[in-house]
Amino acid sequence: MSDDERRADELIELAITQDEVEQAPLQPGVPPPPSMHFASRFGGVSGVIAPLITTLIAFLMGGLVVALTGKNPLKVYHAIWNGTGLNWFFHIGNHSARVPFSTTHMWFPWDTSSVAAQNLQQTLLLTTPIILTGLAVAFAFRCGMFNIGGQGQYFAGTIFAVWLGTSFGGLSPWVHVPLVLVVGALAGAVYAGIAGLLKATVGAHEVISTIMLNWISIWVGSYLFGQGGPLQGSQPSIPISNDIVDGAKLPVIWGLKLLQGLSIGIFIAVAILVVYWLIINRTTLGYEVRAVGFNPEAARYGGISVARNYFLAMAISGAFAGLGGALDITGWEYRIGENDIHANTIGFIGLAAALLGRNTALGVGTASLLFGALINGTSGRQLDPSIFRPDLAGNLTTIIQGLVILFVGLNVGGVWLWLKRRRGA
Amino acid sequence: MRKRWLTLAALAVATVLLASLFAAMRGSSASAAHKAAFSACLVTDIGGLNDKSFNHLAFVGLQTAEKSGVKGRVIQSKSPADYIPNLQACVRAGAGITIGVGFLMTDAMDAVASSFPSNKFAIVDVDVTSMKHKPKNVEGLLFKEQEAGYLVGYAAGLWAKSKGATAVGSVGGLKIPPVDRYIAGYQFAAKKADPGLKTLNDYSQDFVVQAKCKEKALNQIAQGSVVEFQVAGQCGLGVLDAARSKKVFGIGVDADQGYLGSHVLTSALKKVDVSVNAAISSAKAGKLKGGKDVIFDAKVNGVGYGKWSPKAPAAIKAAVAAQFRLLKAGKIKGIPAVVK
Repeated sequence: MSDDERRADELIELAITQDEVEQAPLQPGVPPPPSMHFASRFGGVSGVIAPLITTLIAFLMGGLVVALTGKNPLKVYHAIWNGTGLNWFFHIGNHSARVPFSTTHMWFPWDTSSVAAQNLQQTLLLTTPIILTGLAVAFAFRCGMFNIGGQGQYFAGTIFAVWLGTSFGGLSPWVHVPLVLVVGALAGAVYAGIAGLLKATVGAHEVISTIMLNWISIWVGSYLFGQGGPLQGSQPSIPISNDIVDGAKLPVIWGLKLLQGLSIGIFIAVAILVVYWLIINRTTLGYEVRAVGFNPEAARYGGISVARNYFLAMAISGAFAGLGGALDITGWEYRIGENDIHANTIGFIGLAAALLGRNTALGVGTASLLFGALINGTSGRQLDPSIFRPDLAGNLTTIIQGLVILFVGLNVGGVWLWLKRRRGA
Repeated sequence: MRKRWLTLAALAVATVLLASLFAAMRGSSASAAHKAAFSACLVTDIGGLNDKSFNHLAFVGLQTAEKSGVKGRVIQSKSPADYIPNLQACVRAGAGITIGVGFLMTDAMDAVASSFPSNKFAIVDVDVTSMKHKPKNVEGLLFKEQEAGYLVGYAAGLWAKSKGATAVGSVGGLKIPPVDRYIAGYQFAAKKADPGLKTLNDYSQDFVVQAKCKEKALNQIAQGSVVEFQVAGQCGLGVLDAARSKKVFGIGVDADQGYLGSHVLTSALKKVDVSVNAAISSAKAGKLKGGKDVIFDAKVNGVGYGKWSPKAPAAIKAAVAAQFRLLKAGKIKGIPAVVK
């Protein structure tokens, strides 16, 4: 290793460690105060305390809003909790369950067909695409980019999944399902790659380009599945695609396929969380991506191609979101209509999940479950009109989500600086 | 510093707890024992209750039923992932009838209804016989759009006649059966009111983008049309806009669009509220026609016309009302359902 290379390596290490440790005026030789030590362990990039507080405050404010409508927040939160299906874990009894992919039954501590079980299936179905669109934001974030195009990349995956899923009728599921998923991910990668390429070559800001790409994908989808569009289904007056063939559907392991049971998609999503962690923490690519994210100039000085990493990071981000779209189509949706495209906001929920999860694998996974549970728990069907006005229930998710984003933003920006200044004064 | 945060947090917690206490106290006094009434459950599509169209009208129908002692519940769908769970939630809550609104819910309705064969369902604007499992417990609520088209067409013809104009026009979204039924009835009646009249018709190939419809309407107005009938949903608002800017009459569709201004002569109505209320009543009486479609026409007040523009002459209003009576009595025959 030459002197130059070593110097560059040291610089990158410096850039990385500087960001991970709280920047504070430490006196040489004096140990940091315990509170600060605590903050550096739990309050940094991988901290858990700050997001927890953020969520808690958001829920408290949400509770205040509920109280303003004249309803009891505790009752409402209890109903939401039951609606999420997460209460299922606490109802242990003597039940039996079917072993997946077989007809044999075996003893199981939980009732797999209860109402709570059905709610949990829906929560996990919603969590799946949030994890993937969340990772799409998180990965780009690690490279110093703000990928707001998760929604468009998700649609790119959706569109190709519908197209391939409705074609090739006789194909074996062992070929068809992976084909649809891989092409869906590739479609997302190519789509996000456009923004990455523009950033890498001409420096076009990814926030602007991904937002514009979102709209392009929405209207392309609207054309494809709309009246007279090439992917519109066989019924001429209905702007919905055909169903994908049975061979392209993911196996449903919990609940009934006909009634939107849980597919293996959630396990694929969790596996991708692990893949994300591996790429970020255990590969050269992840190292380079993080180096660029911390300080592009230092990374460039260290011999890392910043342009290449911008492109790769966006493409991989897009692959996550595209896979999310493909998993939704193959997992439960099976078809898509023009109106569905305009109503879908999963990419933006992923954005909130990535922000709250601080762009770590565990964080994004947990935050996705939180948002998936919230969306399902606050849907009108879970709340009896006597507990909370069902027409307002869905807005509660939006409020909590908005507060989370606001507080997360405040956390890293204003409050932190303000506290630091106060401490310094 | 830290103390201040703690105080703030404690305050927030205390406020929420207090508020919940108040709410709980208020809630407990209000609850009273009520008899088990027949219950109807309405699931909207993603358009939501404030769509000023189908979902809203379906809700109005449910409210009408509630006045006659039916216990109503409405669940709004926020995303397509909600359809099946929402319909299932209705079944689980023991709804006597579960009603879905619009074609977006066709497959979800098919799945849930065929999984719960002993429960009753209805779906607005969907032909049950076209559903995958052809469930025997779902009633399709369809409409005779050509009769609504007939009524407004008659008004258009009379207006053109009184103005000495040569043409009336219509703009459809796409050449699909429900759109064509409106237009066929419209053209038939306009010519009946004024046999020398020319009927212009175009399709915008779109239900959303208003500019496309506006362009078609402006073209027709340039060719001498004095009344413009829109059958193109949101896109059709462009037709009404063209009518306003060229100082001719426009005619609304599906819901009453008279609120847009006095340039809207009247609207061709598809009374989803009537159909929903009727489905609830027949389910309550145990007479729901599962596996079949019920067609709502003028006779059962399932179609009609909306509010008149203040600029509409009294003679036309009276003449159209007379036609409506004849239609209800079944004395008008031969209204076509397809555009030639």
